[in-house]
Amino acid sequence: MECYHLAQKAVPDLLEHLKKIAPVYAPHQKGEKSYSFERVTHASEVVLDYNRTMLSLKKFFLPPTERLLQYSIQKQNVVEEEIKPEKRIFFGVHSYDMQAVLRLDHNMIEGHPEPNYILRRQDAIFIGISFEPDDYHFSRSVGIRVEEMEGFDLFLNKVDTNYYLFILNKEGSDLLKGFQKLKAVKDIVRFERNFKNKLKYHYNRIPEVFQHVYHSEVWQKVAERCVGCGTCNLMCPTCYCFDVMDDVALDVKSGERRRQWDGCMLTPFAEVAGGENFRDKYEQRTRHRVYRKFKYITDQEGVPWCVGCGRCTAFCPAGISLTDIVNNLIQDYENQQYAKTGVVA
Amino acid sequence: MKHLHDITLPAERGLYLPTMCKIVEAKELTKLEKWYRVELPGGQDLGHTPGQFVEVSVLGVGEAPISVSSSPTRQGSFELCIRKVGMLTSVLRTLDTGDTIGIRGPFGHGFNVNEFRGKDVLIVGGGIGIVPLRSLIHYILDRRAEFGRLIILYGTKSPAELLYREELAEWTARDDVEFHVTVDHGNADWTGNVGVITTLIPALQLDLPNTIAAVTGPPVMYKFVLMALKSKRLPDEQVFVSLERRMKCGVGKCGHCQINGKYCCQDGPVFRYTDIKPLEEAL
Repeated sequence: MECYHLAQKAVPDLLEHLKKIAPVYAPHQKGEKSYSFERVTHASEVVLDYNRTMLSLKKFFLPPTERLLQYSIQKQNVVEEEIKPEKRIFFGVHSYDMQAVLRLDHNMIEGHPEPNYILRRQDAIFIGISFEPDDYHFSRSVGIRVEEMEGFDLFLNKVDTNYYLFILNKEGSDLLKGFQKLKAVKDIVRFERNFKNKLKYHYNRIPEVFQHVYHSEVWQKVAERCVGCGTCNLMCPTCYCFDVMDDVALDVKSGERRRQWDGCMLTPFAEVAGGENFRDKYEQRTRHRVYRKFKYITDQEGVPWCVGCGRCTAFCPAGISLTDIVNNLIQDYENQQYAKTGVVA
Repeated sequence: MKHLHDITLPAERGLYLPTMCKIVEAKELTKLEKWYRVELPGGQDLGHTPGQFVEVSVLGVGEAPISVSSSPTRQGSFELCIRKVGMLTSVLRTLDTGDTIGIRGPFGHGFNVNEFRGKDVLIVGGGIGIVPLRSLIHYILDRRAEFGRLIILYGTKSPAELLYREELAEWTARDDVEFHVTVDHGNADWTGNVGVITTLIPALQLDLPNTIAAVTGPPVMYKFVLMALKSKRLPDEQVFVSLERRMKCGVGKCGHCQINGKYCCQDGPVFRYTDIKPLEEAL
């Protein structure tokens, strides 16, 4: 693996260089505490010392709302929305968000491959960057180090005020052709950042915990505080559920079918025509969401589907913490094991 | 985990694109249910197995999962029977012969007819649960010699809600079909069984090792039918159920039909009872 030294002051030059290759998207400050991946027009507006963007990269590959079909009601003919693959460079992506894209890839490819997602995703280039974990990040607990480089083409590891730039594949190497401001490094400095926020167990043990806590009182306690807004679904980089609806033009001659993000925390999510709702209680919906992140897909794929970004906790209007939920479930599991065996799990 | 390089690009399109089909025959069966015969362009076959479903579209209104009620043994067109229960189905109620609807599918897993072949088949249908089961019934009737006994139990709330009345008369008349029907509440003209569908089960004489059951009905029905079959000592692995969920996309993406870790639209809607028994959300 090649590694170069990149001075912090040369980062805007790198962004300008990349902009000549393809549109570049990077974190921008939106509000006092909120960041967002936006298309770079001025390199100076890019903020690389950010904690987390409000929405993850999923908004680029699975837009919050998109047209699937257009049709004529009069002629009863229908055409699919045209989507052209586009080379886009995503700059300054944290490792957990890259891991989330890889998980979404799995969900979208498995079974029936999802053409709209794949067309938007297939030519994406990812340039990662390290981050300093804040009070909410816990990606290390789900097996994702700050410096995890899987999925990236280039990765920038910040040490003091400068960067070590790692070239991870040919695409990454091609991006740097003609960029002069790099200095080869012989000794690569590696260090691991510490996380304040942690799950009590290694992620390998969590599916075992989830086998025993389906009826835990924790769900009811969370449900008492949950307002059912679905923010956690929207913010979650591995949530991808959507609803589909038709919109008709005012002349009622034509229309379109759209899809938009939906969330399993919203009351009508599992409701069928006729009114039967298969998860009509808050605690059922909370449990479903958390099991989707730590058990159901994890049993099949071996890794947690939660990437530890901390968004659902940082943005929850009711102050519900996902790490608290999981740690309380672990506590519940330990109490059960102790009651059964007299041995501390 | 599957990666982008596991698939050939560009990905095949058309996942959400309905094929526009003509309704070639339509008839109101009850106050709520309407029957349709639908033809794909050029009279192609739908290529379904009994128990599978299609996504039915009305442009400008929406799309919903609907069971196919005809058997793949009868080619050239397929049938649907749709209860008016929501917005889309209310519009569907107004459509007639010559009108156009969109079709995607067939989707999901239906009844594995190979496992039914050679066995006695017990069909238990409650309300519109008879609709997907009719596909299996017709399949068996069309290849009658390949199956053992065909026992059909059918129950509705009242006589007015019985579907496919002409066929019910035919099933009653046939020597090779054991057909039992009941209604929760009778009326002055009703001379048949009165009582919930489970009341038909205790009297059945079943060759247990050689019997496969297919059960479909409203959510409330399963628990009681499965209990009744258990008291007949029919092994759980010989029981199949078809479940209703909000299968919005039909292709395992939109998430609405998840039953714990399973997708109803992919792993079902027909499940072997033992496969869903451990799932708390299933029944």
